[in-house]
Amino acid sequence: MTLLEQVGRAAIVQVEDVGALTMQFWSVLRKLPRVLPVVGARRRWRSAVVQMFAIGASALPMSGAMSLCTGFILALQSASELRKFGALELVVSLVAVGFTRELGPLITALSVSGRSASAISAEIGTMVVTEEIDALRVMGLDPVEITLAPKYLAALITVPCLTILSTLCGIFAGYLFLAFSMGMSLGVYCHAVAEAISLRDVGFMVVKSLVFATVIVHVGCLEGLRVRGGPEAVGHFTTSAVVKSTFLIILTDLGATAIFYLMGWSAAG
Amino acid sequence: MTDSSTAKTDDAVISIRGVSMSYGGRRVLDQVDLDVCRGEILVLLGGSGSGKTTLLKHVLGLAEPEAGSITITGVDITSCSQSELGAVRRRIGVAFQAGALFNSMSVEDNVALPLRELTRLADSTIKLMVWMNLVAVGLSHAGSLYPPELSGGMRKRAAVARAMALGPEILILDEPSAGLDPIVSAGLDELILFLKRSFGVTILVVTHELESAFHIADRVAMLYQGRLIAVDRKEQFAGNAHPRIRQFLDRQHDAMPRVAAEDFIASYLGVPT
Repeated sequence: MTLLEQVGRAAIVQVEDVGALTMQFWSVLRKLPRVLPVVGARRRWRSAVVQMFAIGASALPMSGAMSLCTGFILALQSASELRKFGALELVVSLVAVGFTRELGPLITALSVSGRSASAISAEIGTMVVTEEIDALRVMGLDPVEITLAPKYLAALITVPCLTILSTLCGIFAGYLFLAFSMGMSLGVYCHAVAEAISLRDVGFMVVKSLVFATVIVHVGCLEGLRVRGGPEAVGHFTTSAVVKSTFLIILTDLGATAIFYLMGWSAAG
Repeated sequence: MTDSSTAKTDDAVISIRGVSMSYGGRRVLDQVDLDVCRGEILVLLGGSGSGKTTLLKHVLGLAEPEAGSITITGVDITSCSQSELGAVRRRIGVAFQAGALFNSMSVEDNVALPLRELTRLADSTIKLMVWMNLVAVGLSHAGSLYPPELSGGMRKRAAVARAMALGPEILILDEPSAGLDPIVSAGLDELILFLKRSFGVTILVVTHELESAFHIADRVAMLYQGRLIAVDRKEQFAGNAHPRIRQFLDRQHDAMPRVAAEDFIASYLGVPT
Protein backbone atom coordinates (compact mmCIF):
# COMPACT_ATOMS: atom_id res chain seq x y z
CA MET A 1 0.00 0.00 0.00
CA THR A 2 1.45 3.37 -0.95
CA LEU A 3 1.67 6.28 1.48
CA LEU A 4 -1.04 8.09 -0.48
CA GLU A 5 -3.38 5.10 -0.14
CA GLN A 6 -2.70 4.89 3.59
CA VAL A 7 -3.45 8.58 4.09
CA GLY A 8 -6.56 8.24 1.92
CA ARG A 9 -7.87 5.24 3.86
CA ALA A 10 -7.22 6.94 7.21
CA ALA A 11 -9.05 10.05 5.98
CA ILE A 12 -12.02 7.93 4.82
CA VAL A 13 -12.22 6.27 8.27
CA GLN A 14 -12.23 9.68 9.98
CA VAL A 15 -14.90 11.04 7.64
CA GLU A 16 -16.98 7.91 8.24
CA ASP A 17 -16.64 8.49 12.01
CA VAL A 18 -17.85 12.07 11.71
CA GLY A 19 -20.67 10.88 9.43
CA ALA A 20 -21.70 8.20 11.96
CA LEU A 21 -21.68 10.75 14.80
CA THR A 22 -23.85 13.15 12.80
CA MET A 23 -26.29 10.48 11.62
CA GLN A 24 -26.73 9.12 15.13
CA PHE A 25 -27.22 12.60 16.55
CA TRP A 26 -29.88 13.40 13.97
CA SER A 27 -31.75 10.14 14.49
CA VAL A 28 -31.73 10.63 18.28
CA LEU A 29 -32.94 14.24 17.99
CA ARG A 30 -35.89 13.04 15.92
CA LYS A 31 -36.78 10.44 18.56
CA LEU A 32 -36.32 12.73 21.60
CA PRO A 33 -40.00 13.85 21.75
CA ARG A 34 -41.01 10.16 22.07
CA VAL A 35 -39.34 10.08 25.52
CA LEU A 36 -41.27 13.05 26.91
CA PRO A 37 -44.17 12.42 29.29
CA VAL A 38 -47.72 12.84 27.90
CA VAL A 39 -46.75 13.42 24.25
CA GLY A 40 -44.25 10.51 24.03
CA ALA A 41 -44.61 6.76 24.06
CA ARG A 42 -46.16 5.39 27.21
CA ARG A 43 -43.78 4.61 30.08
CA ARG A 44 -40.71 5.71 28.06
CA TRP A 45 -40.14 8.75 30.30
CA ARG A 46 -39.70 6.38 33.22
CA SER A 47 -36.47 5.04 31.74
CA ALA A 48 -35.33 8.66 31.30
CA VAL A 49 -35.95 9.21 35.03
CA VAL A 50 -33.88 6.10 35.87
CA GLN A 51 -31.10 7.51 33.67
CA MET A 52 -31.34 10.90 35.39
CA PHE A 53 -30.56 9.21 38.71
CA ALA A 54 -27.67 7.28 37.13
CA ILE A 55 -26.13 10.22 35.26
CA GLY A 56 -27.06 13.13 37.52
CA ALA A 57 -27.99 12.39 41.10
CA SER A 58 -25.21 9.91 41.76
CA ALA A 59 -22.59 12.25 40.22
CA LEU A 60 -23.56 15.14 42.51
CA PRO A 61 -21.31 14.33 45.52
CA MET A 62 -18.32 13.82 43.24
CA SER A 63 -18.68 16.98 41.13
CA GLY A 64 -19.70 19.02 44.20
CA ALA A 65 -16.58 17.96 46.12
CA MET A 66 -14.35 18.57 43.07
CA SER A 67 -15.76 22.09 42.65
CA LEU A 68 -15.44 22.86 46.36
CA CYS A 69 -11.75 21.86 46.31
CA THR A 70 -11.04 23.68 43.03
CA GLY A 71 -12.80 26.81 44.30
CA PHE A 72 -10.62 26.77 47.40
CA ILE A 73 -7.46 26.19 45.35
CA LEU A 74 -8.38 29.05 42.99
CA ALA A 75 -8.99 31.39 45.96
CA LEU A 76 -5.70 30.38 47.64
CA GLN A 77 -3.63 30.78 44.47
CA SER A 78 -5.14 34.11 43.45
CA ALA A 79 -5.03 35.51 47.02
CA SER A 80 -1.27 35.02 47.29
CA GLU A 81 -0.79 37.29 44.24
CA LEU A 82 -3.62 39.76 44.86
CA ARG A 83 -2.50 40.31 48.48
CA LYS A 84 0.65 41.98 47.11
CA PHE A 85 -1.53 44.70 45.56
CA GLY A 86 -3.84 44.88 48.57
CA ALA A 87 -6.71 43.72 46.42
CA LEU A 88 -7.82 40.62 48.28
CA GLU A 89 -11.50 41.49 47.58
CA LEU A 90 -10.87 40.74 43.89
CA VAL A 91 -10.73 37.04 44.83
CA VAL A 92 -14.55 37.21 44.91
CA SER A 93 -14.93 38.23 41.28
CA LEU A 94 -12.14 35.90 40.15
CA VAL A 95 -13.77 32.87 41.75
CA ALA A 96 -17.32 33.89 40.76
CA VAL A 97 -16.54 34.70 37.13
CA GLY A 98 -14.04 31.84 36.76
CA PHE A 99 -16.53 29.30 38.02
CA THR A 100 -19.59 30.60 36.21
CA ARG A 101 -17.96 30.95 32.83
CA GLU A 102 -15.41 28.19 32.88
CA LEU A 103 -14.66 25.91 35.82
CA GLY A 104 -18.21 25.02 36.83
CA PRO A 105 -19.24 23.58 33.44
CA LEU A 106 -15.79 22.05 32.83
CA ILE A 107 -15.36 20.29 36.19
CA THR A 108 -18.92 18.96 36.08
CA ALA A 109 -18.48 17.73 32.50
CA LEU A 110 -15.19 15.99 33.34
CA SER A 111 -16.64 14.26 36.38
CA VAL A 112 -19.78 13.16 34.46
CA SER A 113 -17.60 12.07 31.54
CA GLY A 114 -15.49 9.81 33.76
CA ARG A 115 -18.56 8.22 35.34
CA SER A 116 -21.23 8.22 32.66
CA ALA A 117 -19.46 8.03 29.29
CA SER A 118 -17.89 4.76 30.46
CA ALA A 119 -21.13 3.49 32.04
CA ILE A 120 -23.18 4.30 28.93
CA SER A 121 -20.74 2.70 26.51
CA ALA A 122 -20.36 -0.38 28.73
CA GLU A 123 -24.13 -0.78 29.00
CA ILE A 124 -24.77 -0.38 25.28
CA GLY A 125 -21.69 -2.43 24.34
CA THR A 126 -22.91 -5.29 26.52
CA MET A 127 -26.33 -5.04 24.86
CA VAL A 128 -24.62 -5.37 21.47
CA VAL A 129 -22.56 -8.40 22.58
CA THR A 130 -25.56 -10.18 24.12
CA GLU A 131 -27.62 -9.49 20.96
CA GLU A 132 -30.13 -7.33 22.89
CA ILE A 133 -29.84 -4.55 20.29
CA ASP A 134 -30.46 -7.10 17.51
CA ALA A 135 -33.39 -8.48 19.53
CA LEU A 136 -34.98 -5.00 19.63
CA ARG A 137 -34.50 -4.59 15.88
CA VAL A 138 -36.05 -7.94 14.99
CA MET A 139 -38.98 -7.19 17.29
CA GLY A 140 -39.61 -4.19 15.05
CA LEU A 141 -38.54 -1.78 17.82
CA ASP A 142 -36.11 1.09 17.36
CA PRO A 143 -33.00 0.76 19.60
CA VAL A 144 -32.35 4.49 19.15
CA GLU A 145 -35.72 5.37 20.66
CA ILE A 146 -35.68 2.76 23.42
CA THR A 147 -32.07 2.77 24.61
CA LEU A 148 -30.37 5.95 23.37
CA ALA A 149 -33.02 8.70 23.48
CA PRO A 150 -33.76 8.38 27.26
CA LYS A 151 -30.03 8.76 27.99
CA TYR A 152 -29.81 11.91 25.84
CA LEU A 153 -32.84 13.46 27.53
CA ALA A 154 -31.52 12.55 30.99
CA ALA A 155 -28.08 14.07 30.25
CA LEU A 156 -29.55 17.25 28.72
CA ILE A 157 -31.64 17.83 31.86
CA THR A 158 -29.25 16.71 34.60
CA VAL A 159 -25.87 18.04 33.41
CA PRO A 160 -26.98 21.73 33.43
CA CYS A 161 -28.56 21.19 36.89
CA LEU A 162 -25.35 19.58 38.14
CA THR A 163 -23.35 22.42 36.62
CA ILE A 164 -25.37 25.03 38.49
CA LEU A 165 -24.99 23.13 41.78
CA SER A 166 -21.26 22.55 41.41
CA THR A 167 -20.72 26.19 40.38
CA LEU A 168 -22.48 27.19 43.61
CA CYS A 169 -20.14 24.83 45.49
CA GLY A 170 -17.09 26.43 43.87
CA ILE A 171 -18.30 29.95 44.66
CA PHE A 172 -19.10 28.86 48.24
CA ALA A 173 -15.48 27.67 48.59
CA GLY A 174 -14.40 31.22 47.73
CA TYR A 175 -16.60 32.48 50.58
CA LEU A 176 -15.08 29.97 53.03
CA PHE A 177 -11.60 31.23 52.17
CA LEU A 178 -12.51 34.92 52.52
CA ALA A 179 -14.48 34.31 55.72
CA PHE A 180 -11.43 32.68 57.31
CA SER A 181 -8.79 35.02 55.92
CA MET A 182 -10.46 38.43 56.25
CA GLY A 183 -13.69 37.67 58.12
CA MET A 184 -15.99 38.59 55.22
CA SER A 185 -19.68 38.03 55.97
CA LEU A 186 -21.92 35.89 53.74
CA GLY A 187 -24.14 38.87 52.89
CA VAL A 188 -21.22 41.00 51.67
CA TYR A 189 -19.80 38.04 49.72
CA CYS A 190 -23.12 37.28 48.00
CA HIS A 191 -23.50 40.93 47.07
CA ALA A 192 -20.00 41.01 45.60
CA VAL A 193 -20.70 37.82 43.63
CA ALA A 194 -23.94 39.30 42.25
CA GLU A 195 -21.96 42.39 41.18
CA ALA A 196 -19.26 40.32 39.52
CA ILE A 197 -21.31 37.98 37.33
CA SER A 198 -23.91 38.90 34.75
CA LEU A 199 -26.92 37.03 33.43
CA ARG A 200 -24.99 36.50 30.21
CA ASP A 201 -22.31 34.55 32.14
CA VAL A 202 -25.02 32.29 33.54
CA GLY A 203 -26.40 31.85 30.02
CA PHE A 204 -22.96 30.82 28.74
CA MET A 205 -22.66 28.36 31.59
CA VAL A 206 -25.95 26.68 30.69
CA VAL A 207 -25.15 26.62 26.96
CA LYS A 208 -21.72 25.12 27.62
CA SER A 209 -23.18 22.49 29.93
CA LEU A 210 -25.75 21.50 27.29
CA VAL A 211 -22.99 21.09 24.71
CA PHE A 212 -20.86 19.03 27.13
CA ALA A 213 -23.86 16.85 28.03
CA THR A 214 -24.40 16.12 24.34
CA VAL A 215 -20.72 15.28 23.82
CA ILE A 216 -20.63 12.87 26.79
CA VAL A 217 -23.78 10.93 25.98
CA HIS A 218 -23.15 10.97 22.23
CA VAL A 219 -19.62 9.58 22.43
CA GLY A 220 -20.67 7.04 25.09
CA CYS A 221 -23.52 5.72 22.94
CA LEU A 222 -21.53 5.63 19.70
CA GLU A 223 -18.57 3.82 21.24
CA GLY A 224 -21.00 1.32 22.80
CA LEU A 225 -22.65 0.64 19.45
CA ARG A 226 -19.25 0.07 17.82
CA VAL A 227 -18.46 -2.91 20.06
CA ARG A 228 -17.84 -6.01 17.97
CA GLY A 229 -16.81 -9.44 19.17
CA GLY A 230 -16.80 -10.66 22.74
CA PRO A 231 -16.97 -9.08 26.19
CA GLU A 232 -13.28 -8.04 26.07
CA ALA A 233 -14.18 -5.56 23.31
CA VAL A 234 -16.55 -3.81 25.75
CA GLY A 235 -13.59 -2.83 27.96
CA HIS A 236 -11.65 -1.46 25.01
CA PHE A 237 -14.51 0.73 23.77
CA THR A 238 -15.37 1.87 27.31
CA THR A 239 -11.85 3.24 27.75
CA SER A 240 -12.04 4.80 24.32
CA ALA A 241 -15.36 6.49 25.25
CA VAL A 242 -13.85 8.19 28.32
CA VAL A 243 -10.71 9.30 26.48
CA LYS A 244 -12.62 10.63 23.47
CA SER A 245 -15.33 12.42 25.48
CA THR A 246 -12.77 14.03 27.82
CA PHE A 247 -10.73 15.26 24.87
CA LEU A 248 -13.80 16.50 22.99
CA ILE A 249 -15.04 18.36 26.10
CA ILE A 250 -11.75 20.29 26.32
CA LEU A 251 -11.82 20.90 22.57
CA THR A 252 -15.42 22.17 22.49
CA ASP A 253 -14.72 24.28 25.59
CA LEU A 254 -11.83 25.92 23.78
CA GLY A 255 -14.00 26.45 20.70
CA ALA A 256 -16.91 27.90 22.69
CA THR A 257 -14.69 30.18 24.79
CA ALA A 258 -12.88 31.41 21.65
CA ILE A 259 -16.21 32.17 19.95
CA PHE A 260 -17.48 34.06 23.04
CA TYR A 261 -14.20 36.02 23.19
CA LEU A 262 -14.09 36.86 19.46
CA MET A 263 -17.73 37.95 19.46
CA GLY A 264 -16.99 40.22 22.41
CA TRP A 265 -19.54 38.36 24.57
CA SER A 266 -16.99 37.62 27.31
CA ALA A 267 -16.82 41.25 28.44
CA ALA A 268 -18.63 41.77 31.72
CA GLY A 269 -22.00 43.47 31.79
CA MET B 1 -32.61 -31.95 -3.35
CA THR B 2 -35.41 -34.46 -3.69
CA ASP B 3 -38.97 -34.02 -4.86
CA SER B 4 -40.28 -34.12 -1.34
CA SER B 5 -38.38 -30.93 -0.50
CA THR B 6 -39.40 -28.92 -3.54
CA ALA B 7 -43.01 -30.10 -3.84
CA LYS B 8 -44.35 -27.63 -1.28
CA THR B 9 -42.50 -24.46 -2.34
CA ASP B 10 -45.80 -22.75 -3.30
CA ASP B 11 -46.60 -22.77 0.40
CA ALA B 12 -43.25 -21.25 1.40
CA VAL B 13 -43.42 -18.55 4.11
CA ILE B 14 -39.68 -17.94 3.89
CA SER B 15 -38.18 -18.16 0.44
CA ILE B 16 -34.43 -17.65 0.04
CA ARG B 17 -33.21 -17.37 -3.56
CA GLY B 18 -29.58 -17.18 -4.72
CA VAL B 19 -28.34 -15.43 -1.57
CA SER B 20 -24.58 -14.77 -1.58
CA MET B 21 -22.36 -12.87 0.83
CA SER B 22 -18.61 -12.34 1.22
CA TYR B 23 -16.57 -10.88 4.06
CA GLY B 24 -13.06 -9.66 3.31
CA GLY B 25 -12.89 -11.61 0.05
CA ARG B 26 -14.08 -14.88 1.68
CA ARG B 27 -17.33 -16.34 0.38
CA VAL B 28 -19.54 -16.91 3.46
CA LEU B 29 -22.78 -17.67 1.60
CA ASP B 30 -22.78 -18.98 -1.95
CA GLN B 31 -26.01 -19.02 -3.98
CA VAL B 32 -28.18 -20.35 -1.16
CA ASP B 33 -31.73 -21.44 -2.16
CA LEU B 34 -34.04 -22.54 0.64
CA ASP B 35 -37.79 -22.58 1.34
CA VAL B 36 -39.43 -22.89 4.73
CA CYS B 37 -43.00 -24.10 4.26
CA ARG B 38 -46.05 -23.16 6.31
CA GLY B 39 -46.50 -25.16 9.48
CA GLU B 40 -43.27 -27.17 9.27
CA ILE B 41 -40.18 -27.33 11.46
CA LEU B 42 -37.10 -26.91 9.30
CA VAL B 43 -33.78 -27.51 11.00
CA LEU B 44 -30.74 -25.83 9.47
CA LEU B 45 -27.64 -27.83 10.32
CA GLY B 46 -24.03 -26.87 9.82
CA GLY B 47 -20.68 -26.88 11.56
CA SER B 48 -18.93 -23.86 12.98
CA GLY B 49 -18.18 -21.31 10.26
CA SER B 50 -20.59 -22.95 7.79
CA GLY B 51 -22.57 -19.72 7.38
CA LYS B 52 -25.67 -20.59 9.47
CA THR B 53 -25.46 -17.48 11.64
CA THR B 54 -24.82 -15.27 8.60
CA LEU B 55 -27.83 -16.76 6.79
CA LEU B 56 -29.94 -16.20 9.91
CA LYS B 57 -28.87 -12.54 10.10
CA HIS B 58 -29.95 -12.12 6.47
CA VAL B 59 -33.33 -13.75 7.11
CA LEU B 60 -33.87 -11.38 10.05
CA GLY B 61 -32.97 -8.37 7.89
CA LEU B 62 -29.95 -7.55 10.09
CA ALA B 63 -27.61 -7.83 7.08
CA GLU B 64 -28.07 -7.24 3.37
CA PRO B 65 -26.96 -9.90 0.90
CA GLU B 66 -24.63 -9.09 -2.01
CA ALA B 67 -26.90 -11.00 -4.35
CA GLY B 68 -30.22 -12.83 -4.20
CA SER B 69 -33.54 -12.23 -2.51
CA ILE B 70 -35.29 -13.29 0.70
CA THR B 71 -39.08 -13.27 0.62
CA ILE B 72 -40.96 -13.62 3.90
CA THR B 73 -44.77 -13.92 3.82
CA GLY B 74 -44.72 -12.51 0.29
CA VAL B 75 -42.51 -9.46 1.00
CA ASP B 76 -38.97 -9.28 -0.40
CA ILE B 77 -37.08 -8.00 2.64
CA THR B 78 -33.93 -7.24 0.61
CA SER B 79 -35.70 -4.52 -1.37
CA CYS B 80 -38.66 -3.41 0.78
CA SER B 81 -38.96 -0.17 2.78
CA GLN B 82 -38.15 0.08 6.50
CA SER B 83 -41.84 0.21 7.40
CA GLU B 84 -42.57 -2.94 5.36
CA LEU B 85 -39.60 -4.64 7.02
CA GLY B 86 -41.01 -3.61 10.41
CA ALA B 87 -44.39 -5.13 9.48
CA VAL B 88 -42.71 -8.40 8.40
CA ARG B 89 -40.65 -8.53 11.60
CA ARG B 90 -43.83 -8.30 13.67
CA ARG B 91 -44.90 -11.61 12.12
CA ILE B 92 -41.65 -13.28 13.20
CA GLY B 93 -40.64 -14.28 16.71
CA VAL B 94 -36.94 -14.80 17.35
CA ALA B 95 -35.20 -16.50 20.27
CA PHE B 96 -31.49 -15.73 20.14
CA GLN B 97 -28.78 -18.19 21.18
CA ALA B 98 -28.09 -16.60 24.58
CA GLY B 99 -31.70 -15.46 24.97
CA ALA B 100 -30.94 -11.74 24.47
CA LEU B 101 -33.26 -10.97 27.40
CA PHE B 102 -33.02 -7.45 28.79
CA ASN B 103 -31.16 -7.81 32.07
CA SER B 104 -32.67 -4.66 33.55
CA MET B 105 -36.21 -6.07 33.24
CA SER B 106 -37.96 -8.99 34.94
CA VAL B 107 -39.00 -11.99 32.84
CA GLU B 108 -42.60 -10.69 32.82
CA ASP B 109 -41.50 -7.27 31.59
CA ASN B 110 -39.32 -8.89 28.93
CA VAL B 111 -42.30 -10.82 27.57
CA ALA B 112 -44.57 -7.77 27.93
CA LEU B 113 -42.15 -5.46 26.07
CA PRO B 114 -43.31 -6.19 22.48
CA LEU B 115 -46.96 -6.08 23.63
CA ARG B 116 -46.50 -2.71 25.35
CA GLU B 117 -44.51 -1.20 22.51
CA LEU B 118 -46.36 -2.53 19.49
CA THR B 119 -49.98 -2.85 20.60
CA ARG B 120 -52.52 -0.62 22.30
CA LEU B 121 -53.75 -3.33 24.62
CA ALA B 122 -54.76 -2.46 28.18
CA ASP B 123 -52.30 -3.32 30.95
CA SER B 124 -54.64 -5.98 32.37
CA THR B 125 -54.87 -7.72 28.97
CA ILE B 126 -51.08 -7.58 28.54
CA LYS B 127 -50.65 -9.08 32.02
CA LEU B 128 -52.97 -11.96 31.12
CA MET B 129 -51.24 -12.59 27.77
CA VAL B 130 -47.82 -12.57 29.45
CA TRP B 131 -49.02 -15.09 32.01
CA MET B 132 -50.45 -17.34 29.26
CA ASN B 133 -47.16 -17.23 27.36
CA LEU B 134 -45.19 -18.03 30.51
CA VAL B 135 -47.52 -20.96 31.27
CA ALA B 136 -47.05 -22.24 27.70
CA VAL B 137 -43.26 -22.39 28.16
CA GLY B 138 -43.49 -23.68 31.74
CA LEU B 139 -42.23 -20.53 33.46
CA SER B 140 -45.38 -19.29 35.22
CA HIS B 141 -43.51 -19.39 38.56
CA ALA B 142 -40.54 -17.32 37.33
CA GLY B 143 -42.22 -14.17 36.01
CA SER B 144 -40.83 -11.89 38.69
CA LEU B 145 -37.24 -13.15 38.38
CA TYR B 146 -34.54 -11.25 36.48
CA PRO B 147 -32.56 -12.88 33.63
CA PRO B 148 -29.29 -13.23 35.64
CA GLU B 149 -31.26 -15.29 38.20
CA LEU B 150 -32.40 -17.84 35.59
CA SER B 151 -30.72 -21.12 34.62
CA GLY B 152 -29.65 -21.66 30.99
CA GLY B 153 -32.78 -23.66 30.15
CA MET B 154 -35.11 -21.16 31.82
CA ARG B 155 -33.48 -18.30 29.94
CA LYS B 156 -34.11 -20.05 26.61
CA ARG B 157 -37.73 -20.73 27.60
CA ALA B 158 -38.18 -17.09 28.56
CA ALA B 159 -36.72 -16.06 25.19
CA VAL B 160 -39.23 -18.36 23.46
CA ALA B 161 -42.06 -16.83 25.52
CA ARG B 162 -41.00 -13.33 24.41
CA ALA B 163 -40.69 -14.49 20.80
CA MET B 164 -44.27 -15.90 21.00
CA ALA B 165 -45.70 -12.78 22.67
CA LEU B 166 -47.22 -11.23 19.54
CA GLY B 167 -48.51 -14.57 18.21
CA PRO B 168 -46.05 -14.80 15.31
CA GLU B 169 -46.56 -16.86 12.14
CA ILE B 170 -42.89 -17.77 12.10
CA LEU B 171 -40.65 -18.69 15.02
CA ILE B 172 -36.89 -18.63 14.53
CA LEU B 173 -34.71 -20.32 17.14
CA ASP B 174 -30.93 -19.92 17.14
CA GLU B 175 -29.16 -22.88 18.79
CA PRO B 176 -31.96 -23.67 21.26
CA SER B 177 -30.15 -26.66 22.79
CA ALA B 178 -26.61 -25.28 22.86
CA GLY B 179 -25.02 -25.45 26.29
CA LEU B 180 -27.93 -27.32 27.92
CA ASP B 181 -27.84 -30.70 29.65
CA PRO B 182 -29.70 -33.57 27.88
CA ILE B 183 -32.75 -33.43 30.16
CA VAL B 184 -33.28 -29.68 29.78
CA SER B 185 -32.54 -29.95 26.06
CA ALA B 186 -35.17 -32.70 25.64
CA GLY B 187 -37.68 -30.52 27.51
CA LEU B 188 -36.99 -27.68 25.10
CA ASP B 189 -37.48 -30.02 22.11
CA GLU B 190 -40.89 -30.98 23.50
CA LEU B 191 -41.73 -27.30 23.91
CA ILE B 192 -40.89 -26.63 20.25
CA LEU B 193 -43.10 -29.55 19.12
CA PHE B 194 -45.87 -28.31 21.46
CA LEU B 195 -45.74 -24.81 19.92
CA LYS B 196 -46.01 -26.27 16.43
CA ARG B 197 -48.95 -28.53 17.41
CA SER B 198 -50.82 -25.93 19.45
CA PHE B 199 -50.28 -22.73 17.48
CA GLY B 200 -49.52 -24.06 13.98
CA VAL B 201 -46.49 -21.80 13.88
CA THR B 202 -43.78 -22.32 11.23
CA ILE B 203 -40.44 -22.93 12.94
CA LEU B 204 -36.90 -22.48 11.63
CA VAL B 205 -34.28 -23.90 13.97
CA VAL B 206 -30.55 -23.28 13.49
CA THR B 207 -28.45 -25.81 15.35
CA HIS B 208 -25.63 -28.33 15.23
CA GLU B 209 -27.14 -30.64 17.85
CA LEU B 210 -27.94 -33.78 15.83
CA GLU B 211 -30.13 -35.62 18.31
CA SER B 212 -32.36 -32.64 18.93
CA ALA B 213 -32.47 -31.81 15.20
CA PHE B 214 -33.72 -35.25 14.16
CA HIS B 215 -36.25 -35.35 16.99
CA ILE B 216 -38.03 -32.11 16.15
CA ALA B 217 -37.46 -31.65 12.39
CA ASP B 218 -39.88 -32.23 9.54
CA ARG B 219 -37.13 -31.35 7.09
CA VAL B 220 -33.41 -30.87 7.56
CA ALA B 221 -31.12 -28.59 5.53
CA MET B 222 -27.36 -28.53 5.74
CA LEU B 223 -24.90 -25.72 5.03
CA TYR B 224 -21.25 -26.43 4.33
CA GLN B 225 -18.76 -23.65 3.53
CA GLY B 226 -21.59 -21.30 2.62
CA ARG B 227 -23.30 -23.72 0.24
CA LEU B 228 -26.55 -25.54 0.90
CA ILE B 229 -25.56 -29.15 0.23
CA ALA B 230 -28.87 -30.86 1.09
CA VAL B 231 -32.49 -30.16 1.99
CA ASP B 232 -34.63 -33.20 2.64
CA ARG B 233 -37.19 -34.85 4.87
CA LYS B 234 -35.32 -36.05 7.93
CA GLU B 235 -35.72 -39.76 7.07
CA GLN B 236 -34.13 -39.27 3.62
CA PHE B 237 -31.55 -36.84 4.99
CA ALA B 238 -30.32 -39.47 7.46
CA GLY B 239 -29.51 -41.75 4.50
CA ASN B 240 -27.85 -39.04 2.35
CA ALA B 241 -24.54 -40.24 0.90
CA HIS B 242 -22.88 -36.80 0.57
CA PRO B 243 -19.43 -37.27 2.17
CA ARG B 244 -19.69 -34.12 4.31
CA ILE B 245 -23.15 -35.08 5.58
CA ARG B 246 -21.91 -38.60 6.39
CA GLN B 247 -18.94 -37.09 8.22
CA PHE B 248 -21.25 -34.75 10.16
CA LEU B 249 -23.82 -37.44 11.03
CA ASP B 250 -21.16 -40.04 11.89
CA ARG B 251 -19.20 -37.48 13.95
CA GLN B 252 -15.91 -38.04 12.08
CA HIS B 253 -13.20 -35.42 12.59
CA ASP B 254 -11.24 -33.79 9.75
CA ALA B 255 -7.80 -35.21 8.97
CA MET B 256 -5.06 -33.33 10.84
CA PRO B 257 -2.64 -31.55 8.47
CA ARG B 258 0.75 -33.28 8.66
CA VAL B 259 3.91 -31.21 8.48
CA ALA B 260 7.33 -32.73 7.80
CA ALA B 261 9.94 -32.03 10.49
CA GLU B 262 12.29 -30.17 8.13
CA ASP B 263 9.45 -27.95 6.83
CA PHE B 264 8.50 -27.10 10.40
CA ILE B 265 12.11 -26.20 11.27
CA ALA B 266 12.44 -24.18 8.05
CA SER B 267 9.24 -22.22 8.75
CA TYR B 268 10.28 -21.71 12.37
CA LEU B 269 13.75 -20.42 11.44
CA GLY B 270 12.47 -18.56 8.38
CA VAL B 271 15.10 -20.10 6.08
CA PRO B 272 14.63 -22.73 3.37
CA THR B 273 16.49 -25.99 4.02
